[in-house]
Amino acid sequence: MAHIWPIGGGKGGTGKSFLTGNIGILLARQRFKTLLIDADLGAANLHTIIGLPHSDISLSDFINKRFSTLEEVVVKTPIPNLFLVSGARNKLDIANLAHEQKTKMLRAISRLNYHYILLDLSSGTSFNTIDFFTLSDSGIFVCCPEPTSIENFYRLIRSVYIRKIRQILKAHQFKKLAEKAEARNPDSVINRPEYLLDILKEIDPEKGRMIEKILHAFQFKLILNQVRKQDNPRIGILLCRIIEKHLGLKVQFIGNVGFDERVHDELCKKGPFIDTYPYSQATMDLKALIKGIREATHVESGAPPSTQPDVIDTLSG
Amino acid sequence: MKRLLEQNFYELLGVEFDASTFEINRAYKEIYQLYREDSLVSYSLFSGEERRQILARLDEAYSTLIDEEKRSRYDQSLVECGILNEGMESQDEPRAVRLMSDSKHSTINTILTIRDEMKAAVSSNPVIQEILTHDVLWGKDLKRIRDELGVSLETIAEMTKVRIIFLRAIEDDEFEKAPSRMFLRSFLKAYAQSLGLDADFVASRYLKRIDN
Repeated sequence: MAHIWPIGGGKGGTGKSFLTGNIGILLARQRFKTLLIDADLGAANLHTIIGLPHSDISLSDFINKRFSTLEEVVVKTPIPNLFLVSGARNKLDIANLAHEQKTKMLRAISRLNYHYILLDLSSGTSFNTIDFFTLSDSGIFVCCPEPTSIENFYRLIRSVYIRKIRQILKAHQFKKLAEKAEARNPDSVINRPEYLLDILKEIDPEKGRMIEKILHAFQFKLILNQVRKQDNPRIGILLCRIIEKHLGLKVQFIGNVGFDERVHDELCKKGPFIDTYPYSQATMDLKALIKGIREATHVESGAPPSTQPDVIDTLSG
Repeated sequence: MKRLLEQNFYELLGVEFDASTFEINRAYKEIYQLYREDSLVSYSLFSGEERRQILARLDEAYSTLIDEEKRSRYDQSLVECGILNEGMESQDEPRAVRLMSDSKHSTINTILTIRDEMKAAVSSNPVIQEILTHDVLWGKDLKRIRDELGVSLETIAEMTKVRIIFLRAIEDDEFEKAPSRMFLRSFLKAYAQSLGLDADFVASRYLKRIDN
């Protein structure tokens, strides 16, 4: 079964697509059959990051049933072992997925046959984003060491909380819970799902435990991107520590990726950064990240496949 | 998940009941980074009021646990409400010196671990790195490094066994307080070493001023 790494982060511009694209390329170079899915439905641009010319087939062709399987909208990239479900020609209204469309897509993703599937998610905290993010237990947060990014990162985490609580509780139960929380703590209702959970554990211990168990099962990861020399390199570790302490969620810090202003230039040239700057600090950091994530997700430490997987033929390009 | 404000002081600082003053200092310094007013790490996580409450509680925990007398009274209150068992808290010998006593923890190893951590902190701190490029080091430079690392003079005294008045004299550039130049040099080296700095390097850059 594929390892699914959803890559999210509350704020736009933190480098989700950049990291997804370049990590994907590095994995493919290590001979892992890797699929990138541009799930940033409203603002897809992963194809640009990996330097792929415009593709005629997009994710919306699957969602709108032009193709019946997700495999059919997978396109080959110039990089061996790297495949893409592009969002380049998504219809503009695709960002608002109906429930059944989303369920269909989530199910289809988890059935795909790849070593790695990386999902590039949109910023913000919509239910779409949260549901894709929690598709596997290995969601990766991307955050920059700056207040705006950290603020949105906490928002995203709390949204995961809320989403899980709402999925388990029926509407009227949730309303009751919210009212109770409001009465007890007028300043912090929905913004503080951790309080909701505490109260839920009191009024309905069984459901409270159930949600707590679901939340505990996640093994989120955190990557700090655009880390400058003057930044405290331990911020990532401290963030994870405080999240565990106050939100009761396990988040493992994977590593820092150094800020490199050449990333901007390379994006303008529409090519993969790691190819133009193979020895830059950022590329080194990216390589280290992959090792870190693979270890953290308990991927069997065996060597990459020695021969090129011959699955390419089975995919319609 | 237990609410932070409901945790006892030991839980709050994340230390064991028999933690030494040294360990408490370290734990407080670390945790303070998370909650202080301008902390990037907890930005937007708490309201202003919550943060004030947390900081006040941390302060209370810290000032209680580093004061032997207050701490034993606090321990007693924990014993009374059944959180701490009689005998679990250390009674006879002051914990402040446990680091140097023959305890179940290996003192030497603790100090070595701390030094390794300090070294890592030194090499990743741009302010310290900048100071270390200076040709000559002043007492205020050393103090700045110590502040950046968040280590108190008491802690250095505890680690090095050098009396605090001599350590302070180093930072105040009051060379005459040291018994001799040789002593000054060895105090300097001990000071530097305890902060994970290159002892000879620091001593020679500092003494340059006297030697000239």
